[in-house]
Amino acid sequence: MLDLGNVDNYLALDKQDRLLQISLKNDWVFANLAKLQELLDQIVPEPGTEVRFSCGGLKDFDLAGAWVLFEKSLDFEEIGVHSKFEGFRASHFKFLQHIIDIAAQKEYVPGFFDPQPTHYWRNGIRKLGQNTIEAVDSVGFIARSVLDGVKRPSRLVIGEIIRQVHATGAAAIPIVMVVCFLMGVVLAYQSARQLEQFGANIFMVDLVANSIFRELGVLLAAIMVAGRSGSAFAAALGTMKLTEEVDALRVLGLNPNQILIIPRVVGLMIALPLLTVFANIAGLLGGAFIGATVLDINWFSFTERLATSIQVNDVLVGISKAPVFAFLISVTGTLRGMQVKGSAEELGRLTTVAVVQSIFLIIVADAIFTVVYSRIGF
Amino acid sequence: MAEAYEHIIKISGLVNRFGKQVVHDNLQLDVRRDEILGVVGGSGTGKSVLLRSILGLHGPNEGSIEVLGQTIRHHRPGPHKQWGVLFQGGALLSGLTVQENVELPIALHSNLPIETRRELAVLKIFMVGLDLNAAAKFPNELSGGMRKRASLARALALEPKVLFLDEPTAGLDPISATEFDQLLSYLKANLDLTIVMITHDVDTLFGVCDRVAVLVNKGIIVDTLDEIVRHPDPWIQEYFGDPRAMRARKAAKAKVEI
Repeated sequence: MLDLGNVDNYLALDKQDRLLQISLKNDWVFANLAKLQELLDQIVPEPGTEVRFSCGGLKDFDLAGAWVLFEKSLDFEEIGVHSKFEGFRASHFKFLQHIIDIAAQKEYVPGFFDPQPTHYWRNGIRKLGQNTIEAVDSVGFIARSVLDGVKRPSRLVIGEIIRQVHATGAAAIPIVMVVCFLMGVVLAYQSARQLEQFGANIFMVDLVANSIFRELGVLLAAIMVAGRSGSAFAAALGTMKLTEEVDALRVLGLNPNQILIIPRVVGLMIALPLLTVFANIAGLLGGAFIGATVLDINWFSFTERLATSIQVNDVLVGISKAPVFAFLISVTGTLRGMQVKGSAEELGRLTTVAVVQSIFLIIVADAIFTVVYSRIGF
Repeated sequence: MAEAYEHIIKISGLVNRFGKQVVHDNLQLDVRRDEILGVVGGSGTGKSVLLRSILGLHGPNEGSIEVLGQTIRHHRPGPHKQWGVLFQGGALLSGLTVQENVELPIALHSNLPIETRRELAVLKIFMVGLDLNAAAKFPNELSGGMRKRASLARALALEPKVLFLDEPTAGLDPISATEFDQLLSYLKANLDLTIVMITHDVDTLFGVCDRVAVLVNKGIIVDTLDEIVRHPDPWIQEYFGDPRAMRARKAAKAKVEI
């Protein structure tokens, strides 16, 4: 291989009066381009001299090599030095000149080489507005489609809804139950440590049951589902968008929203309340398990205490939130999925956005629920 | 160094099997320097498998493949800097603009300053007949023909010696296809390129190819167009006897006479 460090490997200079002879040697190819450019930049002829490039010992020459020479000759021209090329493959230069001529005729696109400053605030506000409109539009559409479906049940894709209930609900039971069981364990432990000081260990049951039924059961289930199914909705619809499946449905005369979105929304609204029941049971089991094994509250006294500390409305409070959370998750997921345009990266970004936003919306909705329910004494 | 090998690609004894189905059986193929070789064959004759084997994307069951004097092994680096590939769908990275797509291989395989990289990328983009407007766009904002051109610009980014094209004119309208053929001839005339292309387009075949390789009977028959149309193989007779092929052949002949 060539020794890149040696200047003489690539060119030789010969100066006679007003004539500078540059003989090129070896490979003037893309692989050596950085070195060649560096070498050429060291040559600074005086104005008025004539430069002659000759290809005496040139072995290999490609377009990139031709391009650096051509560029250099243009630079020389600017400082009043005329350059000539001798013995070269003319095609390379003709080709280059041809391309550059074409390029010169094309109009310069402003903002391409020097990007315009981005208006973060303006863009942010515009985006917020756009998203709001799209969300309202989407919600309105879903409401209309559901109403339509109620009027004419044949329009609802029942099979697809059942499949969604299975995929988002039944399949999620194990993971949701494990998480809630552990949450029950944590709650029981933490509350017992405080209550021990007053010798009021038994109230642990009240604490665990109230927090699981009213808040944590449904919240954990919703967050798990947002992570599992919200992302799945966005990714599935986004991919279908990219592969033109959505367009295919449309030209078949089918409404993609009705076929893709409604089953997911309705399915999840059925699945999440049911999932919440399982979550609640698992949470209680976690609390009872710790009570029986660590805190000296046996299964019987746990159940007895439970009956006095929990009313039906406590259970309903939790479950009543589930459809709302399900709606938020599914609408966010499907909406983001339908927004995917063009690239695979966009798909990834919007899937993340779907999950983050649906969890955010769940928490916001939960806060509103808590305030409203405590005001009306539910 | 450059003259050490006479054939750009040497394939000998290639065998490809999928389960019990034998696609290639003891296939031999030599691709000469500076020629455009068109590869044709019915569906299921293993055109794509052949290309993927040459590119090291598919491990053949038997046989050896050499490209530019380097032996190709499955999933091992080949002569990446010396070959360019145009995939059927273009395979441009969808998250990058056309210019960034072309710049990417240059950036990864050299330590050039950013301005040089950019200028080289733009040079390649002009070369395939696109403008700065198209360079700033994302692949999904381009038409099919422009996407093919952009993909060709990326394939040419590293000044390759061999260019592999998979159905370069598939999915293009006749006018775009003809333009693309002209572009290929133009590039071939101006760069030292050896081109191997899989194609179904008889116009491309007669318009630009020096030799044609036909995949039949698990093997390959390579010859010039004039010779191969006289080959007795039934598939070849059917293929080149097709009215469209006849027309393309006449058109190509007429062009030569002018």
